[in-house]
Amino acid sequence: MKRHIIVLCVLSLVAGFVSCKKASDPNDENEHEAINKITLSFSGAGTTATFTIEDPDGDGGNPPTRIDTIRLKAGQTYTSAIGFKNLSGGTERDLTAGIAAQGKAHEVFYLPTGVTLTISKTDKDANGYPLGLNASWVVGTAGTGSLTLKLMHKSGIKGPNDAPTLGHSDVQIMVPVRITN
Amino acid sequence: MRQSIQVILCLALFCSGIRAQDCAYTLTGSISDADTRSPLDRAVIRIRETGAVSLSDEEGHYHFYGLCRGIYNVVISHVNCDSVVLRVRITDNLVRNVVLPHRVNQLQEVLVRTTREQHPVTVREELDRREIAEARVQRLGEMLSRISGVTVLQTGNSVFKPVIHGLHSQRVLILNNGVRQEGQQWGAEHAPEMDPFISDRFIVLKGAGALKYGSDAIGGAILAEPKALPSDQRFHANLHTGFSTNNRQYVVHAMAEQHLVHAPAWSWRAHVTHRRSGNVRTPDYWQHNTGAGELNFSAAVGYRKPTFRSDIFFSAFQTRIGIFSGSHIGNLTDLQQTILSPRPLLNIDAFTYDIDRPYQQVGHYLIRSRSVWTLPEGSRLNLQVAQQFNLRQEYDRAMITDRPELDLSLNTTTADLGWEQDPGRPRHVQAGIGMMRQENAWSGSRFFIPNYVLLNPYAYTIGRSVKGPWTAEAGFRFDHRNLTSYRNRSGALSSQALTFSNISGSGGITRKMGSDLKLSGNAAWAWRAPHVNELYVNGLHHGTATFEIGDSLLKQERALNLSVQLAWDDDSLWDADLTLYSNLIRDFINLVPVTPATLTLRGAYPTFRFKQTDARLSGADYRLSRVLSERWTAMVKGSFLFARDVGRNDWLSQMPPHRVEAQITWKIPGERFRDTYLSPSVQHVFRQRLVPDPNNDYLAPPPAYTLVHLNFGTTFKFSGMESSLNIGVHNLLNTRYRDYMNRFRYFTDEMGRNITLQWRVGL
Repeated sequence: MKRHIIVLCVLSLVAGFVSCKKASDPNDENEHEAINKITLSFSGAGTTATFTIEDPDGDGGNPPTRIDTIRLKAGQTYTSAIGFKNLSGGTERDLTAGIAAQGKAHEVFYLPTGVTLTISKTDKDANGYPLGLNASWVVGTAGTGSLTLKLMHKSGIKGPNDAPTLGHSDVQIMVPVRITN
Repeated sequence: MRQSIQVILCLALFCSGIRAQDCAYTLTGSISDADTRSPLDRAVIRIRETGAVSLSDEEGHYHFYGLCRGIYNVVISHVNCDSVVLRVRITDNLVRNVVLPHRVNQLQEVLVRTTREQHPVTVREELDRREIAEARVQRLGEMLSRISGVTVLQTGNSVFKPVIHGLHSQRVLILNNGVRQEGQQWGAEHAPEMDPFISDRFIVLKGAGALKYGSDAIGGAILAEPKALPSDQRFHANLHTGFSTNNRQYVVHAMAEQHLVHAPAWSWRAHVTHRRSGNVRTPDYWQHNTGAGELNFSAAVGYRKPTFRSDIFFSAFQTRIGIFSGSHIGNLTDLQQTILSPRPLLNIDAFTYDIDRPYQQVGHYLIRSRSVWTLPEGSRLNLQVAQQFNLRQEYDRAMITDRPELDLSLNTTTADLGWEQDPGRPRHVQAGIGMMRQENAWSGSRFFIPNYVLLNPYAYTIGRSVKGPWTAEAGFRFDHRNLTSYRNRSGALSSQALTFSNISGSGGITRKMGSDLKLSGNAAWAWRAPHVNELYVNGLHHGTATFEIGDSLLKQERALNLSVQLAWDDDSLWDADLTLYSNLIRDFINLVPVTPATLTLRGAYPTFRFKQTDARLSGADYRLSRVLSERWTAMVKGSFLFARDVGRNDWLSQMPPHRVEAQITWKIPGERFRDTYLSPSVQHVFRQRLVPDPNNDYLAPPPAYTLVHLNFGTTFKFSGMESSLNIGVHNLLNTRYRDYMNRFRYFTDEMGRNITLQWRVGL
C-alpha cells in the first residue's frame, strides 16, 4: 500500500507541472498590428499638405477620434502618397512598406462621391497590376463631397482591373472632401 | 399509445411476420470476461422464449441444439458479472461469442457498464457498433449527430461542435477517457480537441443529469470511453485506413496493446492517428482553403493487482484547419456583397491539400493518472489527477507578420477523489470531492478574451435504490467558482474577481413494465456561471463580420430540466425510444444584436452583446425500428425542438430545425463475408421557421433539404486476420443545400457527394 502511494505521488507530480505563461501578467489589449492611423500626403499647386485619420484605441471602444477634411484647389493636379500606421502605447509604426511588399495581395481604392476628382494609380505591384499607394489627382470644379478610401486584401485572386468590392476590406473609411477655388 | 405506434408503423413499414421453418439449428459460442478476456465458466445462458438453459464449460463454451428459425432473447448471467441480454436471429447455425462486463475487476466507471438489465435513470443514448464503424473516420461532433436529439454546429466542413437539445459549447460537457475536456470550448468555431479513434464507446446523456462530472452541463454530457486495457497475456494490434473522395481525405490509424506475460500486473496500449484532407467540393465548385491535417498520439500503461489498479494515460492531439477563404471578410459591406453573390466571391475554384491563411492551429495535451482501491465489502476508492494543456493559435491573414493574431494557452489541472459502494448492491451510494484549477493566457495581436485564473472546488453525492421494477436515483452537488481575470489596457493593469457558488441536484425514477417497456422520469436542477468570454469578450469575429461585447455584470444561468423517456423493446420485432423534454433556463445568456454598429477604420460592423433572458427549450426525440424479416430491418428517427425566449415572448435564434430520418437495412447472408449489409437512408431537415421576429439575421434560414445516404459493411478473414470493410456514400444525389446550423451558410453551399471507404484489419 505504501509503495502504491509513493507511485501515485510521483505520477501526480508529473501530471502537475505548470506552464510558463502566467495569467497574472497580461498582454496589452491594443491591437499591435492593425492599421489605426492613415495619412494622405499631397503635393501639387506649389504646396504640400497631409490629412490624417486616427482611431488610437483600435476596433471597438471609441469611434475614430480624428478624420481630417481633404482640402484641395479646383483645377489643379496633385500627386498623393498614402501611409498606413499603427499607434499603440505611444509609439507609431509604419506599415506601408509591409503592404507594398505584399503588393500582389493588396490594392488601394479612392472612390469620390459628390466632387469631380479623377484619380489614377501611379504604382504597380510585382505582377504589374495597380497598387494605389501613390496616385495622381486631377481636381475638377469647386464643391463638397466625400471620398471612400479602401484597402482591399485579396491574396491569390488579384487581377489587373478589379472592382473595388473584390477581396476583404483591411480599411474602409469615408473622408469629407472640400474643393475650393 | 403503444397500439397506435404499432398501427402506424405497420402501415408504414409493411407488416411482416417471422416464419418458423426448420428446427435443426445450433447456437454456440464462448463467454469471456470483458476486463481480463479470460473464459468464464459456469455462466448461465438461458433462452427466454424456450426456457432452455446451458452452462458454460471451463473454456467458456456453451451449446444449444434443435433451435427453430426465429428471433430469441438470450440472457447470460454470471455470479461475478452483470447480466446481458442478447437478441439473436436464427436463420442458420450461429456462433455468438459474448464478452461479459466483470463487476469486481472493472476499471471503468459505473456509467460505462453495458447491461440492458440495469435501469439508468438519466436519459441517455449510445452509438451502436455499426454506427461507430460507419462513422470511424469522422470527427466527434459529426459522429454523434447520428443520435436523435444531437445535431452539430458547423463552421465549414471541418469544425463540428455537438449540440444537445439546442445547447452547445460551455453547456455541453465532454468527458474524454474520464477527464473533463477543457479547451477553448466557448468559441462557436472551436471543435472538441480530441481523437475519437481512442474511444470505443460514445454515450450521450441528454439534459442536466451528469452531476458527477459538473453542474454547468445544462445541455447534457458526452462520454467517450476507451475499452479496458488487455488482460489476456497477449499482444493485439489493428490498422484502420480510410479514404474519402470529396475532399480526398485519407486517414490512417494504428493501435497496439499488450498484456505482459512475465509481469502480469502490467499492460499497455498506444494509438497513432494521421488525417489529411484537401479542399471540399460542393456540387458546383471547390471551397478554397478548406483542407485540414491532424496528427495524434496516445499511450496508456496500466498496473493491476486484485485490490489496487492504476493507469496513466497520455494523449497529444494536434490539428491545423484551413478556414474557407471566402468566409474571411472585412466588414459589413463585404458581407452583403458575399451574400448577394450566388457563388463565393473570394474563391479559387481548384483542389489543393495546401492550407493558407486564415487557419487554426490547435494542440491539446493530456496526462492523467487514475487509481482504484477495492476496499472490503466491494466498495471502491478512486483517485484521478489530470493535467491538460490547450494551445490554440488563430491566423487571420498575413498583414504584417507571420505570427498568429490570436494565441491562447489554457492550462487545466483537475483532481477528483471518489468513493462508491459495490455497484451490485440494491442500495448504492457514491460520493466525491474534487478541484479544478484553470489558467488562461493570451498573446498575439488581437485581444478577444482576457487572461484568467479559475478555481472550482466541488463535492457531490449520488444514491440509487432498486426495488422490484422501480429504480430511484437522487444526487446533490456543491460547486464554488472563483474567477479572477487580468487585463492590460495600454499599460494600465487591472484585475477583477468574481465568485459564484450554488447547489445543483437531480432526481430520477424508472419503472419497468413487463420485460418490454421501461418508463423513466428525470428532473435536474443545475446552474452555470457565466464564462469569461460572456463577461469580457471585446473583439471582432471575422468569420461573420460581427463585433462581440461581453457584460461583466452577468449572473449565473439556472436550469430546471424535466425529461421523460419511454423505451420499448419487445425483444423480437420492435425497438422504440421516445424522449420528451423541457429545459427551463432562468437568465439564459444569449448573444443579441444591438445598435449602433461599431465604426472602425476597417468599416462598420454589426454589434452583438451578451444579454440574459429566460428561455424554455422543449422538444421530443424518437427512434423506432422494426424487424421486417430475417433480411430486412426498417428504422425511423427524428428530433423536434421548440426554443422560446420567454423573456421577450419570441423564438430563440440559432437553434437546430426539426429533422427526420428513415433507414432500411438489407442483410446479405454469406459464409466468407459475414455481417454484410446494405443500408440506404433518407434524411430530411426542415426549414427553421422558429426564428425571432424581426429576424436580425443577414440571411433568412435556408430552405428545407433532403439527402440520400448509402452504407455498406462486411467482415471477412484477411490472411487469417479479422478485417472489415465499410463503404459510405454521403449525399448520394449530390444535392445542393445549405444548413441553418453551419456558420458558413452565408458564404457557401454544403459538401456534395462524398464516398468514404474504410478498411480495418486486426491482429
